Amino acid sequence: MTIVDLRKGDRFVVTGVELTRETGKRLADMGFTRGTEGQVIRKALFGDPLQVSILGYQVTIRKSEAAGVTVEPLVSA
Amino acid sequence: MTPLRIALAGNPNSGKTTLFNRLTGSHQKVGNYAGVTVDTKEGQLVHRGRDIILYDLPGTYSLTAYSLDEIIARDFVLDEKPDLVINVLDATNLERNLFLGLQFQELGIPMVAALNIIDQAEAMGLRIDHKQLSRLFRIPIVRTVGPKGLGLEELLDAALETADNPGSAPAPLYGAELEAALGKIVAVLNTDEAFSSNFPSRWMALKLLEKDTDARKKLESHQNETQVMRVLSEGIAALERSGGRDSEILVSEARYGLIHGAAKETVLRDRTAVPLTERIDAVLINRFLGLPIFLAVLWAIFQATFTLGAYPQEWLDSLFKALGDGARSFIAPGLLQSLLVDGILGGVGSVLSFIPLVILLFLFISFLEDTGYMSRAAFVMDKFLHIFGLHGQSFLPMMLGFGCSVPAIMAARTLKSTKDRIVTVLVTPFMSCGAKLPVEVLLAGTFFSVNSGAVVLSIYLIGVLLALGSSWVFRKTVLKGETTPFVMELPPYRLPTLKAVAWHVWEKSFQYFKKAGTVILAASILLWAIVTFPQSPPDTPPEEAMGHSLAGWTGRALEPLVKPLGFDWKVAIATVTGFAAKETVVSTLGVLYKVSGGEDDQPLREALRSDPVFNPLVAYTFMLFTLILAPCFAAQATIRAELGTRWLVFYVIFSVVLSWSLCFGVYQLGSVLRIGV
Ligand SMILES: Nc1nc2c(ncn2[C@@H]2O[C@H](COP(=O)(O)OP(=O)(O)OP(=O)(O)O)[C@@H](O)[C@H]2O)c(=O)[nH]1
Ligand SMILES: [Mg+2]
Repeated sequence: MTIVDLRKGDRFVVTGVELTRETGKRLADMGFTRGTEGQVIRKALFGDPLQVSILGYQVTIRKSEAAGVTVEPLVSA
Repeated sequence: MTPLRIALAGNPNSGKTTLFNRLTGSHQKVGNYAGVTVDTKEGQLVHRGRDIILYDLPGTYSLTAYSLDEIIARDFVLDEKPDLVINVLDATNLERNLFLGLQFQELGIPMVAALNIIDQAEAMGLRIDHKQLSRLFRIPIVRTVGPKGLGLEELLDAALETADNPGSAPAPLYGAELEAALGKIVAVLNTDEAFSSNFPSRWMALKLLEKDTDARKKLESHQNETQVMRVLSEGIAALERSGGRDSEILVSEARYGLIHGAAKETVLRDRTAVPLTERIDAVLINRFLGLPIFLAVLWAIFQATFTLGAYPQEWLDSLFKALGDGARSFIAPGLLQSLLVDGILGGVGSVLSFIPLVILLFLFISFLEDTGYMSRAAFVMDKFLHIFGLHGQSFLPMMLGFGCSVPAIMAARTLKSTKDRIVTVLVTPFMSCGAKLPVEVLLAGTFFSVNSGAVVLSIYLIGVLLALGSSWVFRKTVLKGETTPFVMELPPYRLPTLKAVAWHVWEKSFQYFKKAGTVILAASILLWAIVTFPQSPPDTPPEEAMGHSLAGWTGRALEPLVKPLGFDWKVAIATVTGFAAKETVVSTLGVLYKVSGGEDDQPLREALRSDPVFNPLVAYTFMLFTLILAPCFAAQATIRAELGTRWLVFYVIFSVVLSWSLCFGVYQLGSVLRIGV
C-alpha cells in the first residue's frame, strides 16, 4: 500500500520508498524513512499533488512520488 | 588577527537570512518560503573585539545536494571551509532540521546551533529541552528569535568560544552494522594521508555509502582508489543484505533513528491543538476553493494596484506639470530650458509619476511572499502547470516575475533539474514586470479610457499564456524530458512585520528613484541631445526640425522594420531605448513629444492621442510588443549569467521573432477587420 491509496485524513507509518535513487533519497532525507508516522492532510483538485504532514511539518508531493512511498495505515484512535 | 569566517547554514526557511541581517545590519531578502536565498551573501561584524565575516548560505535539506542553490550551500561548506558553522534550526521543525546538523557533525566542522523560531514553536505547543538536546549532540545550542534579535549575543559568544577551542565534539555513532561498514571504509581511506586530511574520512565513508556522485568523483584522486572501491562495495553489499534496503536509504534511516531518539527525550508536543495554519489552509487551499481563491487574490491585487495607485499618480502628474511650468517661466527659452523641461522633466518626470503603482505592486507581491501563501499557490497550481511541462516550483519565479525579472530568473535555481530550470528562466520574462506597467498604463489609459484596467489585464494574461505556451513548445522540442519530482514544504503562515513591509516599500521606492536618476536620466538626456542636434534654423516647425535631427535619421532607418506593425520611427526609438530599462519607453515618448510639441505644452497622453500614427489598435500592438520583446539589459545579463550566452542568444532570437510575428498578425488582422482604427 502506498500514500496514494490513502484518503484525506488517514494516518500512516512509512515502510519504505520505491522510487528512483535520487528521488527516493530525497524523500528519505526529508523524513520519509521506515517507521516514521505521517498523515495525508489534503489532496489538490484532481487528487494531485497531495499535502502530507510528516515529522510535524507540511510537505506537498505529487501523486507519482506518493505512489512510491509504501506505508501501513494507522487506525486513528 | 585574521577575521573569523562563520557560515550560517541550515534548512530552507529556518531564518538564516533574518539572523544574518540582524547580525550584520544588512537588508538581504527574507521571505516565508523555501529557497529565498539562492546565492552566498557576505557581511561583517565585530563581536568582543573580534572581526567576523559572516556568510549567509542558501538553505539545504541535506548535504546530498540536488538543486543549484543547495549545491552552492554544500560546496561553500566543503570547499571554502569556514572556521565555524552556525547551524540555524527551525524549532517548529526540529527533527528534519537536525538531519542536516548531524551531517555537519559528520564533516567534523566546528559548529554551534541556533534554535530559532522558538517563539512560534512555543505558540504551537512545543516544549524543547534545549539543554538536554545540547548534551545529546554535544554542541552548544542557543535559543534565538531572529526578527526580535533575541539570543544573538549569546549565540556569538558560543560561536567565539567554540571557534577558539577546536577539537569539536565527535560525530555521534550510528547502529552497529553501519559502524562496522564505516570502520572498514575509514581504514582504507586513511591509507592516503593527503586525501584523508583533505576530506574527513568518516564523512567520506558515509557519503560513499550514500552513493553520492560527488564523493565518488573526489575518490578518483585517492591513491588506492580500487582498494577503497572494493571495500566499499563489500560494505554496501553486506549492509543491503542485512538491511533489506538500499544503503543510501539506510544511512538516512540511521540518522533519523538517532534524531527520533533524541526528539523523544527532549521535545514535548501538545497534540490537541489544531494549528492556526491548518485552520487557514482548510479554507485557502481547500480542494475546490483553492483555485478560485488564488485567482481572486490575483484579481484583487491587480484592482487594488490600479485604484489605489491612481490618486497619487495624478498628484505626481500635476506636480511635474507645475514644475515644468515653473521652469519655463524662470529660465529663458533656449537650449537650457529645453534640456530641463523637455529632456529631463519630460523623460524622468513621465516615469516618476508611475512610482505609486509600482510600489503598490511590489508591496502586494512581498506580502504574498512573507505570509507563506506563495507555496500554497504553487500547490494549487501544480497540476495545471504540469500540463504545460512546467513545475510547481516554477510557479514562484513566475510570480516574482510580475515584480522584476532579475531576482525572478535567479529564483529558478531552486529547481532540481537543469531542464526545468532552463524552461523556467526562459518563460519568466513573459510575466509582465513592474517596469512594463508604466508603458501599459500609459497606453491603455490614453487610448482605452473606459476599460483601461481590462486592457492592461489582458496584456498580463497574454503574457501568462505565452509563458505556458512557450514552455509547452520548449518541452516538446529543445528541452525534452521528464519533469522532476515536486517536493515542496509548506511553511506555517506568518504575519509580516510592519518593519519588514516598511523596509520593502522604502527599498523599492529607492531603487525606482535610483533607476530614474541614473539609467532613465542618462537615456533622457542622450535622447534629448540626439533629438535636438543637429539644430535646424530657428523658424523651422518643431516636427520638421526633429526629422532632421540625429534621432530622426536613426528612427527612419529603423522604421521599415516596425512599419508592418503599424509603428512609426518614434516607436522604433522608444523600443530601442527600452532595452536600457522598460520604463525608458515611457520617458522616450515623453521627450519626443515634448520636443516636437515646441511651446504648446500638453501632457503626454494628449500628445499621443493627437498623433495620427496612434490609434487603439497601434497602441495595443505596441503594448504587446513591449511585453514580448526581449527584456531589459539587466534581465538579459541575468539570463546569460544563469544559462550562458547560447541560451541568451536563443532567447533573444525567439522573443524577437515571436513578438514581431504576433504583433504583425494582430495589427494586420485588426486593420483588415477595422478594429480599433
Ligand atoms: N516567528 C518567527 N519567525 C521567524 C524567525 N526567524 C525567521 N522567521 C521568519 O521565517 C521566514 C524565513 O526567514 P528567512 O530568514 O528568509 O529564512 P532563510 O533560512 O534565510 O530561508 P532561505 O533563504 O529560503 O533558505 C521569514 O518569514 C521570517 O520572518 C523567528 O525566530 N520567529
Ligand atoms: Mg535566506
